[in-house]
Amino acid sequence: MFRSIGVVGGGTMGRSIAEMLASKGLEVRLVEKDEEHLAAARAGLEASLERQLERWAITQAEKRLILGRIHLGLEMENLSGCDLVIETVTEDMDIKKRVFARLGELLGQETVIASNTSTLSLTELAGATRHPERVIGMHFVYPTIHAGVVEIIRGLQTSDETFEKTKQFVEVAIEKKGVMVYESPGFVTTRLICLLINEALRLLEEGVASAEDIDDAMRIGYQFEYGPLEMADRFGLDSVLAALERMFREYGELKYRPSILLRKKVRAGQLGVKTGVGFFAYGKDGERIR
Amino acid sequence: MNILVINAGSSSLKYQLFDMTDEKVLAKGRVERIGLDSSIVFQETGDGREISDVSEILDHTAAVRKMLALLTHPEHGVLADPGEIAAVGHRVVHGGESFKHSVLVTPEVKREIRSLFDLAPLHNPAHLAGINAVEEVLPGVPQAVVFDTAFHQTMPPTSYMYAIPTVLYRRHKIRRYGFHGTSHDYVSRRAAEFLGRPLEELKMITCHLGNGASCTAILGGKSYDTSMGMTPLEGLMMGTRSGDLDPAIVPYAMGKEDLTLYEISSMLNKHSGLLAISGISGDMREILEAMDRGHEGARLAYDMFVYRLRKYIGAYTAAMDGLDALVFTAGIGENSPRIRQSVCEGLTFFGIRLDPARNEAASDDPRRISADDSRVEVLVVPTNEELMIARDTHALVRGAVTADR
Repeated sequence: MFRSIGVVGGGTMGRSIAEMLASKGLEVRLVEKDEEHLAAARAGLEASLERQLERWAITQAEKRLILGRIHLGLEMENLSGCDLVIETVTEDMDIKKRVFARLGELLGQETVIASNTSTLSLTELAGATRHPERVIGMHFVYPTIHAGVVEIIRGLQTSDETFEKTKQFVEVAIEKKGVMVYESPGFVTTRLICLLINEALRLLEEGVASAEDIDDAMRIGYQFEYGPLEMADRFGLDSVLAALERMFREYGELKYRPSILLRKKVRAGQLGVKTGVGFFAYGKDGERIR
Repeated sequence: MNILVINAGSSSLKYQLFDMTDEKVLAKGRVERIGLDSSIVFQETGDGREISDVSEILDHTAAVRKMLALLTHPEHGVLADPGEIAAVGHRVVHGGESFKHSVLVTPEVKREIRSLFDLAPLHNPAHLAGINAVEEVLPGVPQAVVFDTAFHQTMPPTSYMYAIPTVLYRRHKIRRYGFHGTSHDYVSRRAAEFLGRPLEELKMITCHLGNGASCTAILGGKSYDTSMGMTPLEGLMMGTRSGDLDPAIVPYAMGKEDLTLYEISSMLNKHSGLLAISGISGDMREILEAMDRGHEGARLAYDMFVYRLRKYIGAYTAAMDGLDALVFTAGIGENSPRIRQSVCEGLTFFGIRLDPARNEAASDDPRRISADDSRVEVLVVPTNEELMIARDTHALVRGAVTADR
């Protein structure tokens, strides 16, 4: 069973995954590209755990214990002893390929390399390493501490052993439901949720209802924790746009074409929770202000 | 015959090695912080040798290996060879309705313990990890499991049923189980021995007051009712657990504070009780110190703790239509004369009269703290769950050996 886990990238997903793994008692090595991003990741982890504490989810002692299990660093070499490395860098094929090539050189043949990509081809990523059979997809849903599902994606060359080890890890060590999916842009979760968000944006564009009312209707009507627009704000509007564009390109169907409003928001730098403004406004700890 | 008793927690493993010819403790120790590179081990032997060490212990199997290394240590150990361990007894918190007695470990027993994970998510998985670790490191050594719930399986339905749709009992086994059974069982027997009266004739209330606290009405030696419920959250106020509360508070607080199930459960288990009311600590010793300094929160926490315990003693006296003996045990029960006095002060109408000097006297033996003219005997009986587990394990193993022949 994987015991020491590496996480490459300390953005929204990387942090969330690291925190979830550490809270399950696993040792985590988180690698960022520079000091600035590292500091942001550290601050983000502390703020998130502080929120958990305020909500009585953890105790002061548990907070210290969880933070103590997350080792942050700048050097990919720190990952060499890991049993599993999860890549969570920007959703860009070239950047991810470079990371995979580097991981392929650094890590022993036994180490499983997983990507948290939601839309990119795993087979192509695996091709960047010398041992594509140990490459797999692990697509977490944000926030990973609450979302009890992980999509496990098999690339063309992923070995049965890699798949079994990963599934075992997901279901036993981190106690989440592992859903097996085949390589396809957006898999199940991203494909369905992005379409819902895109359609909500079109409703807003067409003036059918206010952002507030669209979210209330879905939240209350269908028991969503957040409405589709707040969900988009929490994912990051740039991430939603990137996912839609990728699916639009891959499938060629109009339903995936990102709404104009989404493009405008991203151009304006209103990316949601991470910039404080999206369709709604947020405080520095991610709590909704209005 | 040497019996090793193990209490495996999620990140700790406590153990005691007994020589059952005279029930003497040969050695006891603990491994803490399992899963970290700075795990701590500590062991002391019956003749006063101590050893401690910090090293990397990543799982229960490694912890069991380390424990055996200490027990057979040439200088600090007590055994020449691990083969001198005849059997291993494990404490298991939840035995559900499946286990009314201690049993030897078989694949079916392990399956059953696993099926009870939902009822004791913090404890049973760790116990099973301990059992599996021993199986791996000491193959062929018989193992027994002793359940915290087993003693309370004698409760009548009037005590164990909740007044909610019975389909929940049938489908999900939602009922009162009670905990600390091994301790309540042990101290009630010891109390009867001490009093020189047959257990079968006694009406007794045992108060196990530790970090977790429960009290049990014991009628004729059998558990008749107990304060902990389906989980160890119900009943008395505890260090960080709320004890009894209006169940409607749960959905109300969840709605008002936008809490998840996990968060509300953590709030009631880890952020409530003495800690919540005092605002300083869940440890009764610290509460007492703060109270002496005039801390109001600590005073309220203390008063609530005592008041709630007294209500239970009153209720159980009514439940059994009388009371012959009131027994205090576990950390707070054995070591805090002040708590015992506060509890008993309000129970004079039962005919309870404490002898202040006897109450103050410290001892490791069972003792009477009531006055000679008290109509109810009040006792302090130090608990010894490990010995109880060792005895059960010993009896089971001897039974198995006999049956084999």
